[in-house]
Amino acid sequence: MVNLQSKNLNIGYQSGKKSKAIAEDLNFNLEKGKLTCLLGPNGVGKSTLIKTIMGQVSPLGGEIFLEGKPLTFYSQKALAKKIAVVLTEKITTGNLTVGQLVALGRIPHTGWLGKLSIEDQNKVEQAISQTHIGYIRNQPLSECSDGQLQKTMIARAMAQDGEILILDEPTAHLDLVNRFEIMHLLRKIAKESKKAVLVVTHDLEIAIEAADVFWLMQCGQPLVTGLPEDLIINGQINLLLPSDRLSFNPKSGKVQPKIDEFAIQIEGPEATVQWVQAALKKHISIDKLQTVQIRVEENPLRILLKQGEMEKEFLGIGGLLEFLD
Amino acid sequence: MKNKSPNTILFASGLFLCILVFWVNLSIGSVAIPVGEVIGRFFGQEFSKRSWETIVIGYRLPKAFTAILAGITLSISGLQMQTFFRNPLAGPFVLGISSGAGLGVALLIMAGSAFGWSVYSGGLGLWAIIISASAGAVLVLLLMSLTAWKVKDSMTLLIVGLMFGSAVSALISLLAFFSNAEQLKLFTVWSMGSLGSTQTNQLIGFLIASLIGIIPMMLMLKSYNAMLLGEAYAESMGVNINKLRWTMIISTGILAGSATAFCGPIAFIGIAVPHMARLVFRTGDHSVLFPASALIGAIVLLVCDAISQLPGSAQTLPINAVTSLVGAPMVIWLILRRNFSKEF
Repeated sequence: MVNLQSKNLNIGYQSGKKSKAIAEDLNFNLEKGKLTCLLGPNGVGKSTLIKTIMGQVSPLGGEIFLEGKPLTFYSQKALAKKIAVVLTEKITTGNLTVGQLVALGRIPHTGWLGKLSIEDQNKVEQAISQTHIGYIRNQPLSECSDGQLQKTMIARAMAQDGEILILDEPTAHLDLVNRFEIMHLLRKIAKESKKAVLVVTHDLEIAIEAADVFWLMQCGQPLVTGLPEDLIINGQINLLLPSDRLSFNPKSGKVQPKIDEFAIQIEGPEATVQWVQAALKKHISIDKLQTVQIRVEENPLRILLKQGEMEKEFLGIGGLLEFLD
Repeated sequence: MKNKSPNTILFASGLFLCILVFWVNLSIGSVAIPVGEVIGRFFGQEFSKRSWETIVIGYRLPKAFTAILAGITLSISGLQMQTFFRNPLAGPFVLGISSGAGLGVALLIMAGSAFGWSVYSGGLGLWAIIISASAGAVLVLLLMSLTAWKVKDSMTLLIVGLMFGSAVSALISLLAFFSNAEQLKLFTVWSMGSLGSTQTNQLIGFLIASLIGIIPMMLMLKSYNAMLLGEAYAESMGVNINKLRWTMIISTGILAGSATAFCGPIAFIGIAVPHMARLVFRTGDHSVLFPASALIGAIVLLVCDAISQLPGSAQTLPINAVTSLVGAPMVIWLILRRNFSKEF
């Protein structure tokens, strides 16, 4: 089910008669029940695209359709009932509790005093339970961690109850566990609530794991869309890495240097060798390693170094680095 | 939002306190009248001295009502400014409203003495001051509206407002420099504020102006709540920022402008009271903060007025000095005691 669609969309900013195009000819379909991740380098126009979809910036050309009707057909108020957002802006208000902030999401649906009806309260409860923040609902925002705050902002957007949820870098500033949790929470929301969820992120690895659809944005190139796995196999994922030095390794699912110029041979168990190599690569210049042979043993860790006639033994990588440096 | 019952208790006790302070305010002055007698008068008893009737009903009652109205209008315009500009130190006068009113009055005093009539020559003189102060405030208001029409960024608007304020203040200084001692004294007295110069006629005018100024704010309560999350979020929740900016400028212009016109510039109430409301009611919800600020504003200005009467002496202090003396330590205490950025 297509929820949001664009045809030959040109985005950018208009000031007076001058207009600054940022990205051109974008075509996409945002679908219900799917988690879509928008990836691309800084400055490529991801935030502008979001603002354009939100109706805060007018497109320079082309059109966006929301449920079959052009975006301009909707008033700002009507749009607020369709699209909810989580932005990168930090919330500075400390005098609200988590529950109160979530309730603010009902603003487009309430009367002029903002009084919550039974239905409004139900939606707020639902959003709070779906994001698992019931335990902090009476906590002031000033006492929330970044992870809790982000979940609260997601709950607020859920309470706004649009069919479309847009999040601008929801996992920035978060620790590993929280990044993972937030992405999977968003996936769950897409699946269970049948919402179209669009996430701007730089977390490639977690995105590959959680996303249904990838949109890849790159300067001066058309938007590439598809299943993340497909994009990996056909190599289009490398669009994100235009530099010669980095490439995506389909085997490990990680970004790494394209040419492994660092080819020092180390004998030993693979996992240990990998990290010894990584440490040497980081700290020691290659020419110092031309004359040495290294072998590692596990349990307990021993690193054996041979340089001509001399042999040395280390109990950790630190010692080895100190010796070589 | 939740927690209805503690708020009801707070409002009820606030209202009670307000009435109490109101009566105490009426009893204090160069002639001390027992509070019991004042309260009795409101329940149909007569004063034991005839002269007290004239003092309380003819002079102190309009003054107390003026204090209440000024407290309400200044606090509510301060609340709007702070939320709209997302700035805890914004107040009703950051857009230059009081400077504009001051310019109007300064011009009046200069012109008045040039044409040979005194501004304080009775009821007409009072209205002349009120009208010229309003004209000055409206002029600045128009300039600000024009700016708001051109400039879409709130921070730019705030800076332009501050610039207008200092430019107009500079004009006033120039006028003061070229005026004689008597004119200077007149203007200085006006700029120290006075709650006592309004009589029943003016009070009705003040009341009508306040009601007109309060209506736009009441219609926008929900939008102000959305503004707690910043402009971008507010827009995403269907708030028309442009409309809000206009109603904010018009509402605060009328509220702060009329307060300045009727009482002269009164400092600090507009900045300090919204913070007190947040502190006491522990909420960011404007449907609570709006009545709370109004109530606390009325109480605080009644108290300041009572202090300015210097109970037990025939002297009175200028109200502006008292509000600043009470307000400055208040704001300092707030900043030191609580982390502003976290609590605001």
